[in-house]
Amino acid sequence: MRLRCGEQAYDVEVRPGAGEIEVRLGGRALRFALEPAGPGVFVVRTGTRASTLHLARDGAVVHLAWEGVAYAMVEEREGARSAHRIEPGALEAPMPGRVSAVKVAPGQRVAKGEEMVVVEAMKMENALRAPTDGVVRAVHVAVGDAVAPGRPLVEIE
Amino acid sequence: MPLFRKLLVANRGEIAVRVLRTCRVMGIPTVAVYSEADRASRHVREADEAVGIGPAEARLSYLSIDAILHAAKRVGADAIHPGYGFLSQNGDFADAVTDAGLVFVGPPGHVHRRMGDKSASRRLMASAGVPVLPGYDGDDQTDGRLLAEARRTGWPVMLKPSRGGGGKGMRVVRREDEFAGALGASRREARAAFGDDAMVLERFVERPRHVEVQVVADVEGAVVHLGERECSVQRRHQKVVEETPSPALSPGQRQALCAAGVAAARAAGYVNAGTVEFLLAPDGTFSFLEMNTRIQVEHPVTEAVTGLDIVRLQLEVAARLPLAVPQERVVARGHALECRLYAEDPWNDDLPSPGKILHLAEPEGPGVRVDSGLDVGSEVTVHYDPLLAKVITWGRGRPEAIERMSDALRRTVVLGVTTNLARLRALVAHPGFVAGDLDTGFIERNLRDLVPSACPPLEAIAAVAAALGVADRGRPAARRAAPDPWASLGRWRLGGEA
Repeated sequence: MRLRCGEQAYDVEVRPGAGEIEVRLGGRALRFALEPAGPGVFVVRTGTRASTLHLARDGAVVHLAWEGVAYAMVEEREGARSAHRIEPGALEAPMPGRVSAVKVAPGQRVAKGEEMVVVEAMKMENALRAPTDGVVRAVHVAVGDAVAPGRPLVEIE
Repeated sequence: MPLFRKLLVANRGEIAVRVLRTCRVMGIPTVAVYSEADRASRHVREADEAVGIGPAEARLSYLSIDAILHAAKRVGADAIHPGYGFLSQNGDFADAVTDAGLVFVGPPGHVHRRMGDKSASRRLMASAGVPVLPGYDGDDQTDGRLLAEARRTGWPVMLKPSRGGGGKGMRVVRREDEFAGALGASRREARAAFGDDAMVLERFVERPRHVEVQVVADVEGAVVHLGERECSVQRRHQKVVEETPSPALSPGQRQALCAAGVAAARAAGYVNAGTVEFLLAPDGTFSFLEMNTRIQVEHPVTEAVTGLDIVRLQLEVAARLPLAVPQERVVARGHALECRLYAEDPWNDDLPSPGKILHLAEPEGPGVRVDSGLDVGSEVTVHYDPLLAKVITWGRGRPEAIERMSDALRRTVVLGVTTNLARLRALVAHPGFVAGDLDTGFIERNLRDLVPSACPPLEAIAAVAAALGVADRGRPAARRAAPDPWASLGRWRLGGEA
């Protein structure tokens, strides 16, 4: 099984045993007992130590909380397509909303962090900024457009 | 005999759940209303009855006076609690409820209109001797006049929608060349949120603290205050952490502030529970900001130290009963904190983060309270405010309240949407916060560059892999314990009911 966290990929091998599970990961072998403790909750016992894992799956995305911190990982199955990745330099709508301002035009030079598009959602105006330095190759939206998450708004090269 | 035959809660989310709770305690039958987006929400499940009032878009459901009155008539409700936000400070709604022969749990329409207009309320307060900031509250709303008044007031100035609330459309303008752009954006936001784009200008106070006084008034004109709350920790003018008492006030200042709050309520002809907001400057002087003519998001901290149920007081006053608690019997004990859990991404400009709640764990324990509108399976949509839940802790003193908060946040789990939980945890651990050295720029200055959580530690990844293996293949390790870890049992909690 391969789990991905951002750019980092973890190849994990799980070997269930009698009582304890052995997991090989990053050149290490970890042994622990795993006890379900309710929907999406597991107690992980290593010797006398116990930790709680909260887990929820949404397609290939695995949401987890460990020691009070929430994380998301992507599960890559053998033969499955790797997770969708955002093109570097493309600005995508992070949430559904309506475009209230477009501040760049094709050919324009932008600096990382520069405000490019403003999307109004949840009654707030949200500034979307250039992810990198570059030149605007294309602008795909206009003021008033409704945008959905993942839709490319501006391309930079 | 319950105070009302049947009470309709014209709201959603955590505040609807909160109001329903007190009604249940008082034996008042309840009615929830819901938009199509909220059909399966927790507030719907917790009410005795529920009525659909329209599509997801708030304008056609939670903001529709007709839809709500129609629902109230259909079920035979004789009282409406508006919660906060939506129609709660809409004078026309309050009047329409009363005209329909129902009880509105809040002040009458003319009080909402008087205090909802920031210009008119500023003028009223100044005339009642309540201090206000230098600024402009006039009717001439041309760009030219506003710019001239901004110049006269002196930079930086604060732009505020006259009909606004909750910080929406508010902007600090530091230089004259930024004024036109800021005014345009504020007007657009104000129009969208409040349907009115008139602005008030005020001198912007650097490093201000935000303190407010909870008042309750009955129909006979008796007014009591329930002490102050400090709400200085904000981002984008939205409160994030609130507490009582304010660590900034001496007993003398507290007394003066609370007296000003009572004076403001009297000047407003106030009835029911309300909050008078003040800005506290670094030199210790305070000025009237606005009055919120409804229950406040942060009311639980006041409840924690006074032991009073503010919703109950609201219902009693709305039923024309005299105030049950005279001022001398309002006694605050200990210290309380509230952290607001928002569905927004602290690593990405605090952008709203809609999605489905896949998993929840709420903390409990001595001095810990959670007010939440969430269920597993709830959809967090872009249609409504991103506030998910509030974690409230009480302690004998501020340090104990902070310790309890720190632990409560650590045990709070929300999976499926990105939340500000990591920021809240960093916030309550920050030495400046622990020292009580707060102002409204605290987050911006100290927690802007919150370090993103890196990848989980290897032992967590190993546990995830094992758990996924268990779920997929039903290996022996999983068969040992009875519960199916992936079974959907609806809402559940660690440690039982809170």
